[in-house]
Amino acid sequence: MAKKKEILYRRVFVWSWALRIFHWTFALSCAVLILTGIYIHYPPITTKWAEFKPQYLMGTLRYYHFTAAYFFMAALAVRLYLLFFGNRYERFTDFLPINRRNLRSFWRSLKFYLYLTDEHEWRMGHTVLAGTIYFLLFLAAVVMSITGLYLLYPDISWISKMGVALFGSAQMARFIHYILHWCFIFFVIVHLYIAIWNDFKAPEAIISGAFSGSKFMPADVKED
Amino acid sequence: MSRIPFLRMEGLSRRDFLKICTIATATMGLPVEMVDKVAAAVKSPERPPVIWLHFMECTGCTESLLRSSHPPLARLILELISLEYHETLMSGAGKQAEEALKKALEKYKGKFICVVEGGISTKDGGIYCKIGGRTALEIVKEVASEAAAVIAIGTCAAFGGVQAAHPNPTGAVGVGQVLDRPVINIPGCPPNPYNFLSTVLYILTFKHPPELDELSRPKFAYGRRIHDHCERRPHFDEGRFVEAFGDPAHQKGYCLYKVGCKGPVTYSNCSVVRFCDVGAWPVGVGHPCIGCTEPNFWDRMTPFYEHLPKIYIPAGGGIRAEAEKVGKVAVGGAAAVVAAHAAAGVIKKAVKSFGRKGNQESEE
Repeated sequence: MAKKKEILYRRVFVWSWALRIFHWTFALSCAVLILTGIYIHYPPITTKWAEFKPQYLMGTLRYYHFTAAYFFMAALAVRLYLLFFGNRYERFTDFLPINRRNLRSFWRSLKFYLYLTDEHEWRMGHTVLAGTIYFLLFLAAVVMSITGLYLLYPDISWISKMGVALFGSAQMARFIHYILHWCFIFFVIVHLYIAIWNDFKAPEAIISGAFSGSKFMPADVKED
Repeated sequence: MSRIPFLRMEGLSRRDFLKICTIATATMGLPVEMVDKVAAAVKSPERPPVIWLHFMECTGCTESLLRSSHPPLARLILELISLEYHETLMSGAGKQAEEALKKALEKYKGKFICVVEGGISTKDGGIYCKIGGRTALEIVKEVASEAAAVIAIGTCAAFGGVQAAHPNPTGAVGVGQVLDRPVINIPGCPPNPYNFLSTVLYILTFKHPPELDELSRPKFAYGRRIHDHCERRPHFDEGRFVEAFGDPAHQKGYCLYKVGCKGPVTYSNCSVVRFCDVGAWPVGVGHPCIGCTEPNFWDRMTPFYEHLPKIYIPAGGGIRAEAEKVGKVAVGGAAAVVAAHAAAGVIKKAVKSFGRKGNQESEE
């Protein structure tokens, strides 16, 4: 075996407490929303149970769904603020493919994910590929919030006006709300996999970074 | 129609008359003190002339109004208004009918109420619906331009209805979409006659149209969600659902959510006003709501026994797939991609380490 080269890593602080609070609020509310949402969409056979012991099952799960939805929207508001006023790594300019530097980074991380190169894309913040996906999910979350609000508060005049203008009818909003819910399940699977996979491939410590806010970067790597 | 004084009208007693006025007043969401005012408006000798147009439809709205098991209701409506033109009811035909329309337009210019039943064809200049050689589009534009108010009765007139369903070969649309003036929509397939009666009474009593929602439906009739005023709602909240028609849960009157009830996304007062005079309505008799008062319900509320419309996939000649299946395939695909990615990583590593081994051996 060839002698392993020693690499020095430095610890860099990337994610502010606000971003971490956003991340975990979003993650937990998504989990609750997905699970209760599946029940609300197609309740499994609970009739016998509900006859045996009345427990207000649908009402309770809907209550959890709506409560989680408020946390979800609060988290979105925090992320929206951070997109413009967060630290350098939290702003949209750092991780959207809107300039040459970011576009190049996008292709490099795509190649890395496709096993076409062994070069890990060292970035202080999100890689541009991840950032793009997060942004798309952010947009999906905004649509989820709007459709959800429309379905929950059809009697509030401005909400129903907005709902009809955007979706035409509550049924259409419900359809979009349901279709996009699969995007979140899809995202959770891929996000967890990529996070763990990255931890294997590069000692960035991004999983603990989601708690501590710090990552590790090779001492000699400088972001271009 | 003869102008016999109201209270001596055959088949309609004073009791019936006041009952209907009270129901109509309650439908409008007005307090009981208003019944007198409404009744006075009804009794006034000045009856608004009405021109009733039929276009692309099944005449079911007229039929349901006339054949209601409430004969006094139909009579009240027909006595309340002075029906100048109505193709289903008038005895004249052909040239006579055309003359009647022309005369009524001249005589009541700017004063009459135009009621439209049926959708309007717009494709190819609207040639798919013609009466007396003129397209529905021309007729409705001409008549509506002279009307004091336009009421679209039924889902076809309000939103296009069944002929506007995909692929909408005739380019059918609702009346509101071809006119550049406000239209009062009374959707439903068919609509409750009380909603029509109450709208007309409202205009007569207050001389202005009732408050409308975003889809131009009177708020007193279409401002409430069926789901929120449903007698089966407690079963929904408890999680007691009908699994199939005729099963024990169905016999016990549980919630119809799982057999495709569109109550949660449909706005109408069906659960409160109900139909016929026996207090029946679809959900009450064990059939899920099909959402007939909502725009595009033939496309978006079908399949009627499932929650959500199917997804139209343009490839392969347009397959309609179930949303649930598409979602499951997407998530299954994600899991498969993740597994394939992980496997590729393992294989790549194995190949590499094998290669390194080979190199070391060759160096030795």
